[in-house]
Amino acid sequence: MNERAGLRLFRVAPVLLLVVLAVAWQLPEQRWLRLSSSDPEVARQMTSTLDALPDEPLVLVGFDPDLGTYAEVRPTVRALLADLLARDGRLAFVSLTAEGRALASAEIARLGRGAANPTRLLDLGFIAGAEAGLVDLTRGVQLPGDEADGSFARQVDADGIDAFDAVAVIGGNDLGPRSWVEQVAPRIGEIPLVAVTPTVLLPEVQPYLAGGQLAAVLGTPRDGAAYREGLDLGNLERLVDPTPPRSLPLLIGVLIAVAVLGQTLGSRLLEFLRAARAPAAG
Amino acid sequence: MSRPTLAALILVVGMLLLADLLVVNSALDALAGIVVNAVILVAAGAALAAVGALGVRRIGDLWRRRGDPVGAVLVLVGMGAVLVAGLRPGSAGTNDPAVQWLVAALLVPIAATLFGLLFVTTLGAARRSLATRSREATVLVSAALVTTILLIPLSGSTGAWLAGAAGWSLAVPIGAVFRGLLIGIALLAAVYATRALLGMGAADE
Repeated sequence: MNERAGLRLFRVAPVLLLVVLAVAWQLPEQRWLRLSSSDPEVARQMTSTLDALPDEPLVLVGFDPDLGTYAEVRPTVRALLADLLARDGRLAFVSLTAEGRALASAEIARLGRGAANPTRLLDLGFIAGAEAGLVDLTRGVQLPGDEADGSFARQVDADGIDAFDAVAVIGGNDLGPRSWVEQVAPRIGEIPLVAVTPTVLLPEVQPYLAGGQLAAVLGTPRDGAAYREGLDLGNLERLVDPTPPRSLPLLIGVLIAVAVLGQTLGSRLLEFLRAARAPAAG
Repeated sequence: MSRPTLAALILVVGMLLLADLLVVNSALDALAGIVVNAVILVAAGAALAAVGALGVRRIGDLWRRRGDPVGAVLVLVGMGAVLVAGLRPGSAGTNDPAVQWLVAALLVPIAATLFGLLFVTTLGAARRSLATRSREATVLVSAALVTTILLIPLSGSTGAWLAGAAGWSLAVPIGAVFRGLLIGIALLAAVYATRALLGMGAADE
């Protein structure tokens, strides 16, 4: 392949990739593919933590994913919110990053469109100051003016963060479970912290999970898929993604990446071998 | 602000917040609350200033006909649309349906699309980095290749083995490197903070 043809192929590669992925998306799910983890322990840990909560738990949802990685965790986040609502939970959303606030606003609106019970949702809005905002949250919860009504709001207004039975952190690159463990956990009682994070945060989150500061974490697409498979949401199934992630497009993406990286590394290896042989031949 | 004043301020604020965490005292609690609120106000002010600076910069770009005019117009139109939707009379602010539509229907998909392009650009960057013939790039791309193979979503015993290996690679080698970096950053931050508190600086500062 000459250089011009290679350049042309590189230019049309994104369009070709989109077409291939779109076709793969339409194909039926293949039995030889499986997205969920074969080890369900991580998902079981999340489920057992939620099972241990009292009836009709009050859950503070720290919603701070970032736009870049939200696509990775979105199906699991929506499943967790639906799971909590299916347990008759009441959810109060708070964000400490601008991106998190934008996504929280979109998800709360989505729950509203899905006819989630509005008395079980409370939007605490955005708190500036990142980690200082977290500290402030432990000192008292400020209700936005339009959220001041209802028994849930009154309870949160009266008891602050102590009103909650659990904290669910939806983490992102800017603010994640680490900040909650460091800034909030030492200032509140024995409230379990659970988290959903993109894989990139897992190395910094795992020590907190091993140390017990985090009760459960869903940190990879495989663990998220295993958790979603084990859910029985009844009529709240409407609140989760109607089309869960498909394995075949993922497989195609992985194979393309492997092919490109492998071809590049192979070329480098051949170059190296030729260079090593040249002095010997000379 | 001079270095000794800054160091003293950091010391006082740090000790106050630490004491508030350890000691139950209403006066201390009130004082720490004021400090935390001040930090939040400063952060909010800084965020607003940053957005304002971005707007001024883009207006300046258009006025002086420099940079990317299409990008500048899009940034200003986007900022204006959100401001109008959120601040117009009768608007519910961030909960207004118009703001939520701008976020859910435009901002989130556009940002996700941009990040989706990383698939193509990252592969291109990997190819270009290998073209430099550096050993570091070879190690980096080799590790990326192995990690990517472990993500193949197969079922059965092969898939279980791949998932187990992916979990091990995340928990052990990648985790070790990542935590090593975090520990290094934390040590550097501690050293820098100590130097700031003690008013120490490099000879050329």
